[in-house]
Amino acid sequence: MAKKIASLLLAFVLALGLVPAMAETADAVDYTQWFPGVDTSEHVVLTWLVTGNIPTNQTNEALAILNEKLTAAINAEIQIEWIEWTDWQTKYNLALAMQDGTVDMIGTATDWLDAWPNTQKGAFLPMSVEMLQTYCPQTYASVSQEHWDLCKYEGDIYLIPEDNYAQWTNHGFLYRGDYAAEAGLDGIHSWEDMGVFFQYVKDNYPDVIPWDADGSGSSYSDQMLGGWLSSKTGGINIEGFSVPLFFGASTADPYTLSTFFLEGDALVDFATLMKSWSEAGYWREDVLNYTGDVKAEMKEGLTAANQHHTQTWKTERYNIEKLIPGSDVGFFWFGEESQTLVSLNITHGALAIAAQSDAPERALMAYDLIRNDPTFYRLVNYGMEGQQYYVDENGFMARPDTYLDESVQGVTFNFWWGRNDNLELRSAVVDWEAYDALTAVYDAVKIDYPYGQVVFNTDEISVEMDNLSNVFRTYAPVICFGKAEDPVAYVAEFRQALKDAGIDAAMASVQAQIDAVYK
Amino acid sequence: MLQKRALMNDTRLLVPTGSGYSLRKSLRQNRTLILMCIPAIVFFFLFCYLPMPGAYIAFTKFNYNKGIFGSPFVGWKNFAFLFTSGQLTLLLRNTVLYNIAFILLGNFIPLLCAILLNEIQASWFRKVTQSIMFLPYFISAVLVSLLVYNMINYDYGFISNIVRQFGGAMPKYYSQPGAWPFIIVLVYLWQNVGYGTVIYFAAITNIDTSMIEAAKVDGANGFQRIRYIILPCLKSTLVILLLFAMGNIVKGNFGLFYNLVGGNSLLFGTTDIIETYVYRALMNNFNFSQGSAVGLFQSVVGFVIVLVANGIVKRIEPDYSLF
Repeated sequence: MAKKIASLLLAFVLALGLVPAMAETADAVDYTQWFPGVDTSEHVVLTWLVTGNIPTNQTNEALAILNEKLTAAINAEIQIEWIEWTDWQTKYNLALAMQDGTVDMIGTATDWLDAWPNTQKGAFLPMSVEMLQTYCPQTYASVSQEHWDLCKYEGDIYLIPEDNYAQWTNHGFLYRGDYAAEAGLDGIHSWEDMGVFFQYVKDNYPDVIPWDADGSGSSYSDQMLGGWLSSKTGGINIEGFSVPLFFGASTADPYTLSTFFLEGDALVDFATLMKSWSEAGYWREDVLNYTGDVKAEMKEGLTAANQHHTQTWKTERYNIEKLIPGSDVGFFWFGEESQTLVSLNITHGALAIAAQSDAPERALMAYDLIRNDPTFYRLVNYGMEGQQYYVDENGFMARPDTYLDESVQGVTFNFWWGRNDNLELRSAVVDWEAYDALTAVYDAVKIDYPYGQVVFNTDEISVEMDNLSNVFRTYAPVICFGKAEDPVAYVAEFRQALKDAGIDAAMASVQAQIDAVYK
Repeated sequence: MLQKRALMNDTRLLVPTGSGYSLRKSLRQNRTLILMCIPAIVFFFLFCYLPMPGAYIAFTKFNYNKGIFGSPFVGWKNFAFLFTSGQLTLLLRNTVLYNIAFILLGNFIPLLCAILLNEIQASWFRKVTQSIMFLPYFISAVLVSLLVYNMINYDYGFISNIVRQFGGAMPKYYSQPGAWPFIIVLVYLWQNVGYGTVIYFAAITNIDTSMIEAAKVDGANGFQRIRYIILPCLKSTLVILLLFAMGNIVKGNFGLFYNLVGGNSLLFGTTDIIETYVYRALMNNFNFSQGSAVGLFQSVVGFVIVLVANGIVKRIEPDYSLF
């Protein structure tokens, strides 16, 4: 009996101890004002599907703090279900297919995470305007009506867009600026310059592979072919297809489909150039089976170039400079020659609520807080102040001396579904001068993504699309890495295979869907 | 006489036949054996029979929210993609020919190894050999592909370097489709011979030693003992394993092919099997219905082949048939 009384007393004392702490958190900002009249008496645990490897750093500590704050604010907490990078596309889509009510929030995207096909397959919950106004009020108010319209499928809103975050994920080549200068180039501004650069590296640095592409399973073919197409013809990639065969003809005529893959010399020229690059040894002989880490190789000075996007260049320029002083990594962006550049689609990152979620309202509330409240936002994006970051005298986000390695001391939420420039801190470890100079060039030529209002439906051409996907995956890597004996004949064979697989029917269907909205 | 005694080892003879047969009596009589079978029965029930109604997904336009049975029925539409691809003949040819090579060599070589192992008297040597042979079986296909790449890649491969040291020219295997049937079969055998050897070796040790001793007394030499005792005794094991393998003859070893060849389409002509094709065609749009349709097609064809093969075996040697 005495034991029971003692334990009760102990519990009481502990509970008393918690009161000031809770009061302090709740007092800081009164979140009940954010969601007036919403009943949060029942505690809920929300599961959030996020792509990324399970963090081994301080994320759990930050998550515990986040959950403490979320509990105080809306009586909810979050647990993250990670979709790890190995085979992430398969795992992500399988996780969506196996909906059993255990997932509530889903990080998604229309270009790289199949948001529209998954919407069509019933993975996401349609959200009414009233629902968003009540449970996601700050976000709802901050997103324009025009942007909400781009998140609709058959009249319902399915996605919350990351529409207030400036970033560039257009592809191109990161290259060693010091080698380019030695080669007599004033930066690289064309595919031809790129060839000069590779040849210089080949001739003068025998231990460096000009571009040690990890071409296994080659997703490079999508970017390389698309990059050549936009550079040489001014074509614009149309998102939402399982295979990148559909492009608008040009910025001047975006609503007519490009025939790059079917006729003309541009594709033949590409195949011929890549054949000459392959024979010159700019990448390894067995590139189509190589699975190395080209990003790491570039940091070690083993390769002189890497094909990726502006955002990667932004961080890698600084990282490589730190390891190889004077490396002066530059970026040649695809489309530069024809000045073709499309702004990032606002649904490159977006949040969806799972169709089977038990607590969609609370999920929206948690998202609204993380996206719009500075305390939540910084915790998720930068970590714990003093431990992972501090704001330096210039107002930049800097890391303390104890922060040596993100994978050990960092915090990783991969919150790519609602970043907000109003709350962003500029990183102290980015060469902003170089970045701002490049984005100023981008800003001068960019156009908005022209197809945002169409959600393409491929039900009628699904058989053609599957066969086209196979044809593309078969021929494109061979063309891209110059592995065909006779590139001209190989392109002709590729074009015939596309015809046989039904590209005419597929293009007719896509063109009709574009016409229905824009013509 | 020897054959008859060998057949006595066959557990199927424990089930009594004839007019006096009663299920209850049989269950009581064989309760230990049945008890031992229960985990396998539960396994097959849970993982093979219970999900079987799910094959209905192959006939639907699958909607995640509505579930398999709530999704709209679309008939045979999902099967169309494989038949309209123009690739089916090539895919079937590759899949079946590789499997025939795997089945024939994958049974003959282990059988040979098991017989040879049985002739070795020093048990420590036998155990060490068996373990070394068995080891590759546990290595994942991902690692195997890395091993192969690091052995034979043209620029930096282990073998390439040796060949170059001796002034030779290394073939560019990753650009030569003709080399891959040999490489793939070789890798398959390297991985699986040890496993098969253990099965056949276990079957050999199960042979009544008195038969072999009697043969020795009668003056039979090593080859005669293999020819007249060991091989006939292994016949039933061999036939059953072959019949099981027949069921999967149109199913490819996805892990092996996908990892060894990857996306290197230069090699597809001789390495593309149904699984890798389907994966490539469907990996982008995650059409589970079409994937299931192909799986169902393979299973039905496999089932028909097993029925036919079993029928043939039954006609020739009824005791060796599965059912």
